[in-house]
Amino acid sequence: MAKATTSIRRQLILMVAAVLIVINIIALWSAHIYANRAAKESYDRLLYGSALQMAENITILDSQVFIDLPVSAFETLALSASDRAFYAIMNGRYQVLTGYKDLPNIPFTQLLQQSSEKEKFIPIYYETMYHGEKVRFVALGKRLLEADSVNDVFIIVGQTLDARRAAATEVSHMALQFVALFFVITLLLLLFVIWRVLQPLQAIKQAITERSPQELSPLEANVPSEIAPLLKSINYFMAQLDNTLSRLQRFTAEAAHQIRTPLAGLNSQAQNAIDETDETLRQKQLQHILESSNVLTGTVNQLLSRATLTHRYQSHPFSPVSLDHVVKETCRELVVWALERQVEIEYLGNIQVTIKGDEFALKQMLQNIIENAIKYSPKGGVVEVELMVMNELPDTSIRLQIRDQGVGVPDKDKEHIFEYFYRSPDNFASGSGIGLSIAKDVAEHHDARFHLKDNLPSGLIVEVIFLQQKGLSYES
Amino acid sequence: MKVNCRLGLCLILFSHMALAGAAQSGTSIIFPSLNKQPKFEGEVLTVYGAVNHRVISPLFKAYQETYTNVAIHYTESNTRHLYEQFLSEPNARPDVMLSPAMDLQFKLANDGYALVYDSPELGHVPKDSHWRSELFGFTYEPIVTAINTDILAREALPQSREQLLNLIRSKNHLLDEKIGLFDIQQSGLGYLAWAYDGQQSRSYGRLLEAFGTHQAQLYTDTASMLDGLLKGQIFIAYNLVGAYSYQWTQKYSWIKTIMPTDYTTIIMRTAFIPRDAQKVTLAKRFIDLLLSPEGQHILANQSALTPISTKVKGPFSRDELSKLPHGIFRPIPLGLELLIQTDDAKKRLIYSEWRDAIQPVLNRKK
Repeated sequence: MAKATTSIRRQLILMVAAVLIVINIIALWSAHIYANRAAKESYDRLLYGSALQMAENITILDSQVFIDLPVSAFETLALSASDRAFYAIMNGRYQVLTGYKDLPNIPFTQLLQQSSEKEKFIPIYYETMYHGEKVRFVALGKRLLEADSVNDVFIIVGQTLDARRAAATEVSHMALQFVALFFVITLLLLLFVIWRVLQPLQAIKQAITERSPQELSPLEANVPSEIAPLLKSINYFMAQLDNTLSRLQRFTAEAAHQIRTPLAGLNSQAQNAIDETDETLRQKQLQHILESSNVLTGTVNQLLSRATLTHRYQSHPFSPVSLDHVVKETCRELVVWALERQVEIEYLGNIQVTIKGDEFALKQMLQNIIENAIKYSPKGGVVEVELMVMNELPDTSIRLQIRDQGVGVPDKDKEHIFEYFYRSPDNFASGSGIGLSIAKDVAEHHDARFHLKDNLPSGLIVEVIFLQQKGLSYES
Repeated sequence: MKVNCRLGLCLILFSHMALAGAAQSGTSIIFPSLNKQPKFEGEVLTVYGAVNHRVISPLFKAYQETYTNVAIHYTESNTRHLYEQFLSEPNARPDVMLSPAMDLQFKLANDGYALVYDSPELGHVPKDSHWRSELFGFTYEPIVTAINTDILAREALPQSREQLLNLIRSKNHLLDEKIGLFDIQQSGLGYLAWAYDGQQSRSYGRLLEAFGTHQAQLYTDTASMLDGLLKGQIFIAYNLVGAYSYQWTQKYSWIKTIMPTDYTTIIMRTAFIPRDAQKVTLAKRFIDLLLSPEGQHILANQSALTPISTKVKGPFSRDELSKLPHGIFRPIPLGLELLIQTDDAKKRLIYSEWRDAIQPVLNRKK
């Protein structure tokens, strides 16, 4: 049983969630940065506005700096209701004209530089600790012109950071709420999409589960193009299975028939022989019994050898086999049996060749082909067995031909000859009808080509071509 | 400081810093604890306040009924003096600071002298009556004008500043030296109310001129001003705290209290716990009481101070106040706007205007 890897659904959900989380974290982080910057800018503007209002109300009269701070400057500061505020108006000699006398870290260097450059004053923002709290200050210069003198005063206004923090936090919170909502909605949508996308797989599973084990007709389901090949494979597999199953059914039925019929024949012949009084007739009948028994034995042997072969295919790995040796040995084993039928076996070929394969199976194949050739040969006929190297093909390959001089097989029967228990209607020789199909199975198991050709002037040529394969070696 | 209160009496002491002038005087009053066991030594809550001890005592009583082991040492003085004393004695700061001079109180809080305390009672009072959980407004009191009706003769009682100016003009020399004002250089509350007038109204300049022309009398506390009004030393007292004035109106029918109908300035008495307070927990409980419906109820019923809460009922509640004839209520905001009142340059400007108008008269008097 194949072990299930992590479910696609779970992988998709995890990936989608991971991507969403990353996106949302980025969104939150940017919102946080933006909120801080926006809060900072807007409250800096208030601070600057307040400083400007103060600056506007500072004048000079008879070399005396005249300060009348407007309430509005403080009302502007009061917009951040929960913050402390500090201010000071100073002259160029670091004297505090009004306001807080001990403001720390005033950027005098920059202010005096701006002052000496005679340019427009630009506000300088800075943060520093004052009265135990972090305070953001703006320092702004104002040029006071009177007749022939130029006097600069500096306005310093600062405020604690509570309001900006609160504003930034509020925006961040809103962003958090929005992102959380967005996260939940997108996750739900994506979960729905994933469910929807995986639905066809579920449908296929459902369709297969609901089937009875015998039903092997193709699955009909509308599936997306990505899943179609899977469905096609499943259907192909089922078709194969169906085919195999029906072949097996046919085979079983035919085998039962093939065994039952000779057995019934044997039975009645034996009964006749018992009842027969005429000795010569009885001898004849007994002879018949023996023949029938032989045929039956042959059939059973073939069936068993096929079963054995099928088992071997699955359990035995290939090993190097000396093909010429196997061919010669098989010929030798069959030559006596052939001579009894007045058929000669002639081995042609002088090569030594080793291929990778199953020696037992190959021998079965050769036996079946040669036996078949002998069976169908006329008296006095010759069965030629030839093993040769072929160089005409792009690859070097080994050709094995078994030629007889019998009646041959008409073309219309060549297709059927490999079916189990098929016997040509004109067949006169005894046989089980499965010999050649076993041979063909073995050949195909060895990736060899199996052909039937007509011999001249008559007869059948069985040709097995072992294609160039790894481990093949030969000597001429 | 442990105080042995065996006698169980209210001791009224003149404090060590009492000076000859009334403005500089500070009165120390001890409210002994209710625990009468002999040789009992309880804790003492030190309170600085500008409010008359008789007015605030119902609140102290309520506090001591809950905290029977606590004695209260109350120092009563004028607002500016309290502020200066607070700054000049960093080692002897009170546990609670009460004052109607919102600007001075605010300045102390802004400069970080106040302790942050999120009182659970803050929900009972309006949102704009406290700042940063440091400074707590607990009353809502109009700034009024009191008039001794003897001066009116057949004329109608003035209701607005404009009508007051008309009255002064028509009575002319009858009012010479007969107008009472807070000395804004001595009284924090007087300065606050006066500076706020300066922000609000165009009549400010004409009022100043009229006060100067008629050689206004300067006072540093409400009591002596009302006393002067009663004795006929003055006929008009401008910018008084309503609570005291209404009490006198109740007692003496010929003294009328007016909430000017052009606008009526509203001040809040504020309280804070100094950072250096010795008895922080006791002080927090006092603030809780002050802001609680119970404390606010005491103010509205026994102290004659209009409480900040709009929910409590009583003869001095905000409901009752708004039933009296009045102008637009202009509460002085408890916030950074108050910093302008403490600005030195601004103060110099207002003082110099004031001196230019009023001081020469004083000099001439000599």
